[in-house]
Amino acid sequence: MKLSTKVLASVAMLALPAFLATPSFAERVLRLDESPIGEIDPSKVTDYADTVLAVNIYDTLVYPKAGGPGVEPLLATEWTTDGKTWTFKLKDGVKFHSGNPLTADDVVFSLNRMIAMGQGFSSLFAGRVEKVEAVDPTTVKFTLTEPYAPFLAALVRLPIVDSKTVLANKAEGKYGEFGDYAEAWMSSHDAGSGAYKVESQNPQSETVMVKFPDYFLGFAENAPDKVRYRYGIEAPTIRALMSRGEHDISDLWLPPEVIRALAGEKGIKLVTEAGGATGEYIKLNTARAPLDDVHCRLALTYAFDYETTLKILKVNDKYAQGIPMKGPLPSGLLGYDKDLPDYKQDMDKAKEELAKCKYDPKTSPIDIAWIAEVPARERIALLMQAQFSKLGFPVKVIKTPWALVSEQVTKPDTAPHAVEIAVAAVTPDPDSLLYNMYSSKVPPTWMSAEHLKDAKVDELLEAGRTETDPAKREAIYKELNKTLRDLAPAINAYEFTGVMVVRDPVGVPKLEDKSKQTLDNFNLVFRDISIAE
Amino acid sequence: MSEPGSPVIAKRGGSRAVAAFFGNPLSVAGLVIVVAIVLLALAADYVTPFPEHVGPIGDFAAMSAAPASPYMLGTDTMGRDLFTRIIYGYRLSLIMAVVVLAIATPIGVIVGLVAGYRGGWTEYVLMRITDVFLAVPPLVLAMAIMGFLEPTLLNGMLAITAMWWPWYARLIYNVTRAEASEGYVLAAETVGASTAHILFREILPNCWPSILTKMTLDVGFVILMASSLSFLGLGVQPPTPDLGSMVAEGAKYMPDAWWLSLWPAIAILLVVLGFNLVGDGLREAFEAEG
Amino acid sequence: MIWKSALRRLGAALIVMVGISMLIFAIARVMPGDPARIALGPNASAAQVAALRAERHLDAPLPIQYWEFVKALSRGDLGKSLYTNRPVTTDIAQFLPATLELVIVSAIIMVLIGLPIGILSAHFRGRLPDHVGRLIALIGVCTPAFVWGVILQLFFGYFWPVFPIEGRLLESTPVPPDVTGFFLVDTLLAGNVPAFFDALHHLILPAVALAMAGLGQTARLTRSNMIEVYDRPYIEMARAYGFRPLRIATRYAFRPAFIPTLTILGLEFAAMLGNAFLVEKVFGWPGISRYGVDVIIRKDLDAIVGTVLIIAAAFLIMNIVVDILVSIINPRIRLAAGRG
Repeated sequence: MKLSTKVLASVAMLALPAFLATPSFAERVLRLDESPIGEIDPSKVTDYADTVLAVNIYDTLVYPKAGGPGVEPLLATEWTTDGKTWTFKLKDGVKFHSGNPLTADDVVFSLNRMIAMGQGFSSLFAGRVEKVEAVDPTTVKFTLTEPYAPFLAALVRLPIVDSKTVLANKAEGKYGEFGDYAEAWMSSHDAGSGAYKVESQNPQSETVMVKFPDYFLGFAENAPDKVRYRYGIEAPTIRALMSRGEHDISDLWLPPEVIRALAGEKGIKLVTEAGGATGEYIKLNTARAPLDDVHCRLALTYAFDYETTLKILKVNDKYAQGIPMKGPLPSGLLGYDKDLPDYKQDMDKAKEELAKCKYDPKTSPIDIAWIAEVPARERIALLMQAQFSKLGFPVKVIKTPWALVSEQVTKPDTAPHAVEIAVAAVTPDPDSLLYNMYSSKVPPTWMSAEHLKDAKVDELLEAGRTETDPAKREAIYKELNKTLRDLAPAINAYEFTGVMVVRDPVGVPKLEDKSKQTLDNFNLVFRDISIAE
Repeated sequence: MSEPGSPVIAKRGGSRAVAAFFGNPLSVAGLVIVVAIVLLALAADYVTPFPEHVGPIGDFAAMSAAPASPYMLGTDTMGRDLFTRIIYGYRLSLIMAVVVLAIATPIGVIVGLVAGYRGGWTEYVLMRITDVFLAVPPLVLAMAIMGFLEPTLLNGMLAITAMWWPWYARLIYNVTRAEASEGYVLAAETVGASTAHILFREILPNCWPSILTKMTLDVGFVILMASSLSFLGLGVQPPTPDLGSMVAEGAKYMPDAWWLSLWPAIAILLVVLGFNLVGDGLREAFEAEG
Repeated sequence: MIWKSALRRLGAALIVMVGISMLIFAIARVMPGDPARIALGPNASAAQVAALRAERHLDAPLPIQYWEFVKALSRGDLGKSLYTNRPVTTDIAQFLPATLELVIVSAIIMVLIGLPIGILSAHFRGRLPDHVGRLIALIGVCTPAFVWGVILQLFFGYFWPVFPIEGRLLESTPVPPDVTGFFLVDTLLAGNVPAFFDALHHLILPAVALAMAGLGQTARLTRSNMIEVYDRPYIEMARAYGFRPLRIATRYAFRPAFIPTLTILGLEFAAMLGNAFLVEKVFGWPGISRYGVDVIIRKDLDAIVGTVLIIAAAFLIMNIVVDILVSIINPRIRLAAGRG
């Protein structure tokens, strides 16, 4: 602590006239919340809050397409590819918050910074991009190590940073001439071109952002002048603030009971984020008896009570925190097959499958784990226990903290027989979801708690990566979806659809108009939001 | 352990103490609360309407039902009877308190006796160690320990025990220092009694009133501490019913499902209040005894 | 004389601090799970985990880790929080003032309400005010701070919304320039009186929730100490001389009764630093305690150690201040190295 500067500052503040410290005009303020922490360094984005911040403070070459799978142009106006090289033409005249123009050099720098720091979504690019070069100020060319179709979609995870601002703020560090890549500085400042710029940052409690008036795409008529994105506010507090009109958009994690109560109050509406990217999977450990037998797994998928699960998630007749799935692919991704039948509980079929299974349920105990941080999952776990016991399995339910689960599931011996884990596609491409879950080439992670090793699945996954024709890719993923449905490495319990509570005068077009909705997590675009009052 | 005070008082022949205790309506009220809670907890399997609701079961037709027959206090978010779970929560709380005190008290008493009687380096080292523990707010230390360990019943008791014994060490140390220069101790030393004899036969009996009073009060405070830990998610894990986590989980549904956290909160208040009243009564009774 | 013994107390406190830092390190060793893996998240590669382990000396034996820590501490470096990705000292500097402000305001409420209740109880011993006072005190002591938090938030959040229920300031109030980190002080330094009252307004509910236990304890102790003093011969004499009861209470009985009360205030302050964890969680108070809970849940090694040390230091300093105050009020009490 530099005490002397603090004392000097206090003396200086005494001399300032008081009116400087009071607001001069009525601003439109948008207040939202999420769970902590809010990370504003775009190279360290991992969760929901981080993504919302990155989307609004930074821009990317492409953006998830509204109303369907795939991407649409943002900073890039057009692109060409032969599968292995990708060339993008950049929009001219885009400016960073600093006033510097956004050029192809910044794109090169941003990718290098992300890969060098090795955090966040760097794994989407590391080892895959052989070379990135600025052909001219508005043309950037990526050369990949091998043809890779999902690359285009992965670019929604590459926010472009202002290389000059970053370098001006670098400190000593381990990245050679780039110092620390301004890692320290970027944790509390931004170097973006997005519609909002950071005014103040406290990762534990809130990020305050203000409008960047020179943004190249403009704003909705009553777009917020200031956005307060707050972290870690308890559910009852949000509940009270909403009913007092002191909060605008709730987080996604309020219990259905609370949402229902709020929906009944005046001046409050519900919206749903159903971008179709998130599956809630009951991951079955396919490497451990008795679930290494596909018939035992199928028995469990028939015994699962889909109807009650959806009832638990129901808010009211119009809104629910989940919708039925038709296979491992959620509804917003390429390859989703709306013609497949819904999953339904059928105890007769379950017993039929069980008879074909080589294990005797009575002597095959099943462990079900539920993740401690998500209390609502206890209900699903208990529901499973009741149903699976009916098949004769001795069932044990264990509450396990996420830190422990994510470690346990990486080994077939310690992974529980069944654990509910939500996995979301992080880019608008089915590869970003299914490859991590089911390719036998990927080192085991929490996403692949099923430990599936299947030649046909592997083959289809690779085919999906190299094929660049969208129609052929769709056919590949449809077949993969069907194959996985029959293999039943997981019970595809439901597709997560977040329900947010919103104050009436606040318009969130992407969440209120189905044709404008994009991939989950890319819908809270502040410049689109209007506050009518 | 359920009601530690009265038989001991009777044995010491303190009729004045007994009279003083029962002459105070507040102490009697406390005793009634404590006895009622202990009996309910012991007989939980027989007095609760839905003993099976303790376990990992759910009745999703009756989720978060408001108080009404047959669920007198309503149901939790799994559709389980709150009254049943509160009574079993009491059982768990009392077990924790008994175990914690049964371990912490002897450790603290021995450290206090030895430090107070031996003096010198022994005293300095033992009391500095005690100070280390006392210098961290108890909840902070228990939280830190729980943060490193897995949140289970056993670890919870361990964490609370680790921060509880120093208070007994402090208390007994002070009493011992005062007693060590009393005539009866000097007399025992003169006739060559062993240190163990002096500590446990001469000095310890004079510490009993302080120890008993403190233990009675502490049953309440251990329960308070355990519920605070579990309120923060660092205590006993579901489906085991625990009063602190019931308040914490229920608070998420305030005010719409107020019964979820209100009843467990009142339950904590009642049990702590009961043991406090009894403890206060004991202290006054011992003072009356002189 | 006072200063010399205060220095001696400070020396003993330092020894205790070293003890605490060793204790917390010893506890850290039995931690299951890998803090580097947890910090980097489940998507990190094994190489990244190994690099972070090396960077933080997580593979070295405990004494080496401790030595590295002491060396860094002497440079004013408590390491880096894996959770916020910032130096722990930065985090503490940001979060500690909010907690201290809350605890100090709570302590003031505790004394301003607890003492009068105790005095009145003692004065009207056995009569109605005594019964009411004792009941309030008892309920204060027996109710966990988090329950007070939930009750106050429920009452003032829905039924009678006159107090803000979370945060330190209204969003329309500009955050005062950071001088002390205490908003009550900083707003005044900035000459912004409305902001001062806004900060005070936000402090009331969490401070009351936090003060209740200590308030009850203070009232109970004041009462019993006053009663003890009332029974002394010189008070009997004062009564016999016909002094007015109020004069007896304030002039002759209160001062001797206050000293034992004051000595426990230090302990209550410590309890408040602990209970602040519960209250900050309920009221969304951006303080060190909430930070502490978050880092504990995430097994953030450096941050846990830093938080516990800073809270212990605050507690020790507070105790020394109380001891000095006691010896000023009553010079006959000698400051001892190990206070009983």
